[in-house]
Amino acid sequence: MDCQNFKELIDSYLCGELAVETNHTMLCHAERCSPCRNEMSARRLLRASLRQACSREKMSERAMEQLRAKLRSEAGLGDGSARLDEEVGAGGWFATLFRTRLLAPAAVVVALALLIGGIRGLRGLQRGNGDPQRFSKEQIMALELSANLVAETVGDHRTCGAYYVGASGTAEMPDSVREFDPACSKLDKVAADGAAGLLLRAAHVCDFGGRRFAHLVYTRDTTLISLFVTGRDSRAMKSGAVPTFSGPAQGTQRFTYDHIALGAYQTAKRIVLVTSDLPENENAALAEKLAKPVAEYLRTTEAGSGVEERIGRLNPRELIVNR
Amino acid sequence: MERNDNLQRLEIFEAEALSFSDQLFRVALRVCRDREKAEDLIQETYLQAWRSFHRFEIGTNLRAWLYKILFNVYYDGIRRAKLELAPIEETIAETIAYDPPTPQRLTEEEVLAALERIPRDFQLPVVLADVEDLSYREIANTLRIPLGTVMSRLHRGRKLLRMELANYAREAGYQVAN
Repeated sequence: MDCQNFKELIDSYLCGELAVETNHTMLCHAERCSPCRNEMSARRLLRASLRQACSREKMSERAMEQLRAKLRSEAGLGDGSARLDEEVGAGGWFATLFRTRLLAPAAVVVALALLIGGIRGLRGLQRGNGDPQRFSKEQIMALELSANLVAETVGDHRTCGAYYVGASGTAEMPDSVREFDPACSKLDKVAADGAAGLLLRAAHVCDFGGRRFAHLVYTRDTTLISLFVTGRDSRAMKSGAVPTFSGPAQGTQRFTYDHIALGAYQTAKRIVLVTSDLPENENAALAEKLAKPVAEYLRTTEAGSGVEERIGRLNPRELIVNR
Repeated sequence: MERNDNLQRLEIFEAEALSFSDQLFRVALRVCRDREKAEDLIQETYLQAWRSFHRFEIGTNLRAWLYKILFNVYYDGIRRAKLELAPIEETIAETIAYDPPTPQRLTEEEVLAALERIPRDFQLPVVLADVEDLSYREIANTLRIPLGTVMSRLHRGRKLLRMELANYAREAGYQVAN
């Protein structure tokens, strides 16, 4: 990379838009070239002051209050002038059925059917894994992953993944992974089917920000893809508590953090994540191929007794990979 | 029941979405160049967002979704001429071969004034990328332009900004290292 190239790419680098390898090349160049290093820090400063300067304008209190009032009225919660939204509108339609005498019995039958169906649905929810498609809003929120976990996963993807991106040779989970999580000892093989078309660069246990992961590093052309398995502990969940259900058929949970897309699956004890700089949709599709079978496999190991719960704990002396 | 349910939904919506109102407003102000119109645009954006909140997928990027709606409302407003918004001008800035070093020690006023002098076609991608932290793909999606166009506008926009700043720096007699 020459200085001209470097300067063209600085802003995209600062935005986190470059491929991991290019980031690496950029840093190598900056290390050697002090004018470019200065230009990079000047542009970083410019970004910061642009941000600062643009952040001054705020919406007026009056406009905010108006907005809140409009939303309330839109939601049918305001005064008499409130507009009806879709659901309230449906209620109105239902009410007119009752008013039409002939249709009243039919409406009662429909209402009873809905009621019974509703109760069944609720029972299914209370069992937790009854019908995973029917999770309540509260249950879905309980499954939400914490910002910590998302940031730690992306951090590990960026640093550890970038380190192994050019690694060659056959990668295999080392036996020492058993120390971290016995269920992960065959992780590379379990993921192999879903990883068709990807090149496995490394397999190991690593940590980022105090969280430990079993980590498979893949590449596809110039895209770096990571598969992580980590403990589903209270710190991993947004609510701070681990729900007793895991939502197998919920589909991929998707996030984008710091320009890295994450797709996640949860089991009762573990979280399987796939990260890359692909768009969120593509990453989610990849996660379905790559992480879902892994989550299904882990679920079978969790169903049998004897799998010791010791994932996610950090003991520096156990570290297999040290960066 | 329905009322309670709606209230709960609205509370979630307000807690999640309204925290971005200042950020959205900044962009709206840049688009409308008028406080009152920008506030109208934001209000309409949030009403639209609330109407389609049930379609929003939990876990996807709420902020990018809101920006997308903001520009949908904006473009629709132009189409229906209801919001009386001035359309964003299509400008072709000449390619500049000279790229001066980025000056340091600039005040926020200078940075803001320099930004104002850049045509909006170039200003918006720069603001969305460098201030609002949208990814290039999200910007393409939001502004309804191809990804390649986003990148070239960003490239030119940032260069124009640096040119403006270098002018300020020269006038102020700052040292611009070469």
